[in-house]
Amino acid sequence: MQNRRLALGLWLALLAVCAIIVVRTPFRTDMGAFLPHSAPMAQQVLTEQASSGAASHLILLGITGAPAPVLAALSADLAAQLRQDPEFIDVMNGDDRSFAGVQNFVWRNRYLLSPDVTPERFTEEGLHAALENDLALLGSDFGGLMQQTLPDDPTGEVMTLSRRLGDPAGPQRTDGVWFSPDGRRALLLVHAAAPGFDIDAQQRALTRIGDDFASTQGQVPGAAAARLLESGPGVFAIHTRDTTKRDVTRLSLLAVTGAVSLLSFAYRSPRVLLLGLLPIASGALAAIAAVSLAFGFVHGVTLGFGVTLIGESIDYAIYLFTQTAPGDSARDTLARIWPTLRLGALTSTVGFSAMLFSNFTGFAQLGLFSIAGLLVAAGVTRFVLPQLVPRGFFAPGAQPVALPLLAAIRYRRHLRWVVAAGVLVAIVVLGAHRGGLWDQNLADLSPIPAADQALDNTLRHDLGVPDVRYFAVFQAGSEQQALAESEALAARLQTLVARHELRGFESPSAILPSDSTQRARQAALPDAATLQTRLDAARAGMSFRSDAFAPFLQDVARAKSASLLTPASLPPALALQLDSMLVRRAGGWIVMAPLHGVADPASVAKALAASSLPGLAFVDLNQESDQLLRIFQHQAVVLAVTGSLAILLLLLAGLRSPRRVLAVAAPLAAAVTMTAALLTSGGSRISIFMVVGFLLIVAVGSNYCLFFERSATDAPAWKRSVASIVLANLCTVSAYGLMASSSIPVLHDIGVTVATGTFLSLLCAALLKRPDASASGAVA
Amino acid sequence: MIFGLSVRPVRHLLWLCAAFAGSLNFALAQPEAPGWGLVPLMHDLAQVRSASARFTERQTMHMLSAPLVSSGSLTYVAPDYVRKEIQSPAPENFVLDHGSVTITGGPDQQTHRFTLNDDPRIGGLVEAVRATLAGDLPGLEQFYTVRLSGGAANWQLLLRPKNPDAARFIQWIAIYGSGNRLTELDTASSDGDHSEMRVTEDASDAK
Repeated sequence: MQNRRLALGLWLALLAVCAIIVVRTPFRTDMGAFLPHSAPMAQQVLTEQASSGAASHLILLGITGAPAPVLAALSADLAAQLRQDPEFIDVMNGDDRSFAGVQNFVWRNRYLLSPDVTPERFTEEGLHAALENDLALLGSDFGGLMQQTLPDDPTGEVMTLSRRLGDPAGPQRTDGVWFSPDGRRALLLVHAAAPGFDIDAQQRALTRIGDDFASTQGQVPGAAAARLLESGPGVFAIHTRDTTKRDVTRLSLLAVTGAVSLLSFAYRSPRVLLLGLLPIASGALAAIAAVSLAFGFVHGVTLGFGVTLIGESIDYAIYLFTQTAPGDSARDTLARIWPTLRLGALTSTVGFSAMLFSNFTGFAQLGLFSIAGLLVAAGVTRFVLPQLVPRGFFAPGAQPVALPLLAAIRYRRHLRWVVAAGVLVAIVVLGAHRGGLWDQNLADLSPIPAADQALDNTLRHDLGVPDVRYFAVFQAGSEQQALAESEALAARLQTLVARHELRGFESPSAILPSDSTQRARQAALPDAATLQTRLDAARAGMSFRSDAFAPFLQDVARAKSASLLTPASLPPALALQLDSMLVRRAGGWIVMAPLHGVADPASVAKALAASSLPGLAFVDLNQESDQLLRIFQHQAVVLAVTGSLAILLLLLAGLRSPRRVLAVAAPLAAAVTMTAALLTSGGSRISIFMVVGFLLIVAVGSNYCLFFERSATDAPAWKRSVASIVLANLCTVSAYGLMASSSIPVLHDIGVTVATGTFLSLLCAALLKRPDASASGAVA
Repeated sequence: MIFGLSVRPVRHLLWLCAAFAGSLNFALAQPEAPGWGLVPLMHDLAQVRSASARFTERQTMHMLSAPLVSSGSLTYVAPDYVRKEIQSPAPENFVLDHGSVTITGGPDQQTHRFTLNDDPRIGGLVEAVRATLAGDLPGLEQFYTVRLSGGAANWQLLLRPKNPDAARFIQWIAIYGSGNRLTELDTASSDGDHSEMRVTEDASDAK
């Protein structure tokens, strides 16, 4: 009695402590946190950028479904409304205001920004050459354009900068706003204040866009049929969350309904039904606390997958409740089944613990999560549950559920040949599979529907903002060092552009030169009196009026004494661009310069490697993500194989007989082989999520096999034992089978794998059971 | 597209198109038809399928104490191809083809491309001049107030932009002609600058 109270007290205390830890646990959802600590810098930064970088703020909008003038009016009105909204830091639709911020900044700061500002340029000779060029331009078709800026900018710094910063391939304009090439969509490019991962804020921003669009639609005549198209990282995140939420809610509801009806029928006691949840609930709580203590945070993926991985602990309670004979106490039952249950729980724990040693933070968290979760769940089943089960409880409705399987077992001598044939066919199918069993296509893992991806491609293409694939990446100790080195990088890249190996590139130094460069440019500017003298001498013999360049003299004088530009000086559009290229990380700064129009990646990589900049890397985003996927897959396979070996060793230690180990392992191997064959039949491939599914098959299925291996066919306990396994399996198969109906790859893949695999495990375990198991005398 | 194209260079385009509106002349002096006016003039101007001419342009600019003089040749193929070659003082090519403009061989030796759709002010104005080429008076009057003075042998077409945005950079365009032959194109910018372009015809397929 004393011990029982102690167990209850310890359990409650444990729950309380865990709850306190869980409440204080930070949860993270960024993929960077899931990656190995040892992942290449580029992979870490790029995954981080995808969720929180400047590109993640982007919302691409299209307006369609009305004549062009109506679309243009809608675009203008929508842009005007969004520009007044603090949810958005930059709204571009191709009108003059779209560029005003950047244009003004470049115009005001041209002498600090322009690479052409050198002492030579402001000598008498330099100025003379510039003025001669100006005169030629005045007579050309650019005369009008030149004359606008010439009094302020005779050395043409803005022309130089516009060539460097400008992208001539912007969308075409109709009625003053951007349109798609086919003229059917007006286009807008919006930067939300919130990054893509801040889904709630992105949702607010999108709602605002929708409301504003609806109100402009009401004001513009003929706009009733117009539609708004939206895309971008935030939009994807919202859609994914909504679909996931909808699917998970719907499927959980169905699965819970199914399990509750099934177990209600078997138990006929609501109290016992609820008690059955105690092991997994306690396990999950303890698991979150353990991961939090060990890692300092819990990843969202760990939480989602982890609860799935310890799902078998629901089975523990089912085994206990269903195998209690009428008149027996739960405590007696437990004493009987505990050795099997313990070995089953340990088997799964050992299988999952392989993940603990992965250098992927996410896998390691999952390993710890499942170990802690399963051990606590098993402990609660052993020490807490029996005390809470009502006296005299047994499951009156369990037996009928097992009848079909019991019938099959009676004919197992014949049916076992069917299993053997099935395995043989499976091996042939797997052997004959062409083109690799692994799904290497990242898009197949993406939860984003193909239609959304197609819309995104269309809008990106229309707007000329393709996903950047290649980057030049390096690390620096300080912001100034990063800027100074990116100036050296830009010079290097410029030679590649001249050689037509690159079409262009972006560099943080183009937006914000380093302090030393800005100072050098200020030093290159002569003082007012000197400049006046040189300018007068330079224009001798030319027809420029003497006072033509008064604004130029003023602007140079102002620039010479201006305070240096800092990130805070930048207009929002440029600040975002800078943030995406110059990223602060613990211990330094990382520069990522996007490269456009890379003709031959290998040759550019070689050119960058040969440069004198230390640690400069050429990064191919597609290659990195493919690489990441391959590492993931490789790790998953290694973990699955190591886990399986560890399970075999444990079984050998627990069962102390190679023959008995074989009796447990053979049905599992058969089930996994047939599942793999079924999944890959018809040319499909195995995704990384399915590997997780295989791990679950082994964890859950090994329990079935252990029970079948241990129990005698003639005892009445045998029938209850089979009933408990069938009941557990029905719950598992219905829950995972429902998941298979989801359109989200992760849910679908795990669902279809686990539902198929555990069902096959049950069949194989039952049919491959040695004919004479009872003869071994193990009545346990 | 960080830097939207200024409307200024397109002013030259206007001169150009207007010039060709006038180059569609009859080779011989045409007897003055009774009831001559804007409509018959437009009709005459629309007949030419292709033409070429030489031009001399004098630009007076407030920055310069002396006018800039340039000269070269013009080519027109109906309905929407125009080529302007500056030969003196420095070579430069300006081609308008189907609404898109390409400038090559200028002082910066770069190729510049843009389309007339880039801005409604520009697009509207140039489309209006094209309407002149096509003899489309309603199209012309959509963008300009049009005033014709003189007679068939010595006429003057005065165009003033209706759009206030356009009026901010072009004050007026005056086209002088004789018959369907254009002799001069004057443009006054709103900032006081002024240009005179004299056109002498080489060849025309007009009958």
